Amino acid sequence: MDPTQAPGVYEGVANVIAAVMLLIEFGLLRQALARDQIRLYMAQSALISVLAIVIAADRNLPDLYALAGLSAALKVVVVPLVMRRLLGRTGPEEGEEAAGVAGSQTLSPASAVLAGIVLAAVGFFCFGALKIHGPAAPALALALAAAMVLVAFGLMIVRRDVASQAIGFFTLENAISLAALVVASGLPLILETAFLFDLLVAVVVFGMLIRTHHGRSESLSTSDLTRLRG
Amino acid sequence: MSAALPIPVIQLLQVLTVALGAPGVTGVIAKVEARLQGRRGPRVLQPYYDLAKLFRKEALAPEGASWFFLAAPLIAVTAYLTIPLLIPVLTTYGLPLGYMGDILGGGFLLSLASFVIATAALETGSPYAQLGSSRAKTFSAITEPVVLFVVFTVALLTGTDLPYALAATVRSSAGQVIRPAHLLAATALFMVILHETGRIPVETHTGTNEFGMIEEARSFEHSGPYLALLKWASELKQLILFTILADVFLAPWGLAASQHLDSVVLAIAALLAKACAVGCVVAVIDNSFAKLRLFKITEFVSAAFLIAVLGVFTLYLGGG
Repeated sequence: MDPTQAPGVYEGVANVIAAVMLLIEFGLLRQALARDQIRLYMAQSALISVLAIVIAADRNLPDLYALAGLSAALKVVVVPLVMRRLLGRTGPEEGEEAAGVAGSQTLSPASAVLAGIVLAAVGFFCFGALKIHGPAAPALALALAAAMVLVAFGLMIVRRDVASQAIGFFTLENAISLAALVVASGLPLILETAFLFDLLVAVVVFGMLIRTHHGRSESLSTSDLTRLRG
Repeated sequence: MSAALPIPVIQLLQVLTVALGAPGVTGVIAKVEARLQGRRGPRVLQPYYDLAKLFRKEALAPEGASWFFLAAPLIAVTAYLTIPLLIPVLTTYGLPLGYMGDILGGGFLLSLASFVIATAALETGSPYAQLGSSRAKTFSAITEPVVLFVVFTVALLTGTDLPYALAATVRSSAGQVIRPAHLLAATALFMVILHETGRIPVETHTGTNEFGMIEEARSFEHSGPYLALLKWASELKQLILFTILADVFLAPWGLAASQHLDSVVLAIAALLAKACAVGCVVAVIDNSFAKLRLFKITEFVSAAFLIAVLGVFTLYLGGG
């Protein structure tokens, strides 16, 4: 495709939303406070609902409005609320700031971003080479979703604390939802909803993990786990 | 219908608009900033009075400084006044001299100006001036890749590297405005401009605190008319960068499409209004974020780099 030709306005909007979601993923890489990470996750989840509404309006798929509403209720309201309560409980004292995740970076923020760029490039070009064209959303959004998946994995690797890893996993789910919207936006609503409830399972599992881990080692950091116990 | 202006006059007007408008834009930003901080602030025309005062003062050079110390401000201002010939300041159509250099040519002139000022600062032997020029050079080296990637995006979008061509492309359809590559490149450029005009992330552009100084420190040893030229040069640089952002990337509307006097006058007003609008946004950003520590600047630049690289990526996949 000739890059000097602009795609249409609708494709442009969908691509911009996907690109901003990827940028938020990068923002999570360097965010130092669990509170801010949750905020970014909320923003990213809100964007995917907006994208669903855009696709619904343009491609005349009324099911997607319901999906957008449900996904917003779950990911913008419920999951962040649960995460905040979980992290609030692990805070040092009542009323104090939730446990920090600042020290959990294994790479400096600039190197983490550079590593993220490499990951994103791999995702981008692999999926670009596949040339999958969904009927609803543009191929670029799919490549951006692939990049997001890899960066989310990167986030879970470079951060050594349970909270960031949980958020990384949830954003992974966001990336997959984005890919699903792109390639299969006509999927029956019941299936889409079932995927959303998978997220609830993940929240419960990570909730258990955070609480158990914090109960055992009094911190959110997973670096304590390397020590052998007899 | 008003009279048509000859092309050379319009070309001259491009330079004059930037030359005479630059202190005014700085004045507006200073006023907005003061109001944001709850102060009354200086008059909008204050930068003009400052320049007029400095031009009347005596000039002194430190002992041992060579002729280059005094020539540098002149070279810098000349370089900055050449750039408005190359970019769309007032017109949508390319003026005859507009094609003597492309975006890289403009970039070379910007770097040349900054290089001669830094070299002049080295001449002085004053530690602060040297510190400032060393910092300015280091940080401009790390923002260079971002600028390059923005240029690559422009080249891919238009098939050329002429600023006029990009402005025309952006004007051509709404699809060109909303495409991610364009928005990402514009954002990255805006971040570079924030850094280059000495706003966020680390510099205090008005203060005299040596720790936060990058660009400001370089003119410490200049005085009188030479200091005035340097101050004017930094105001010119700011307006030129704002013009590139507004007239090439974000809002290339309101430019004169003909040679008629009224459309050219309208274009001058539109340019100054756009520059003041960008300035207001910059002032708000400047006042709503905390300054970073000096060595955190790599994080800021890496964010801009990320955005610029993503812009190029999206284009390579087609449809970006």
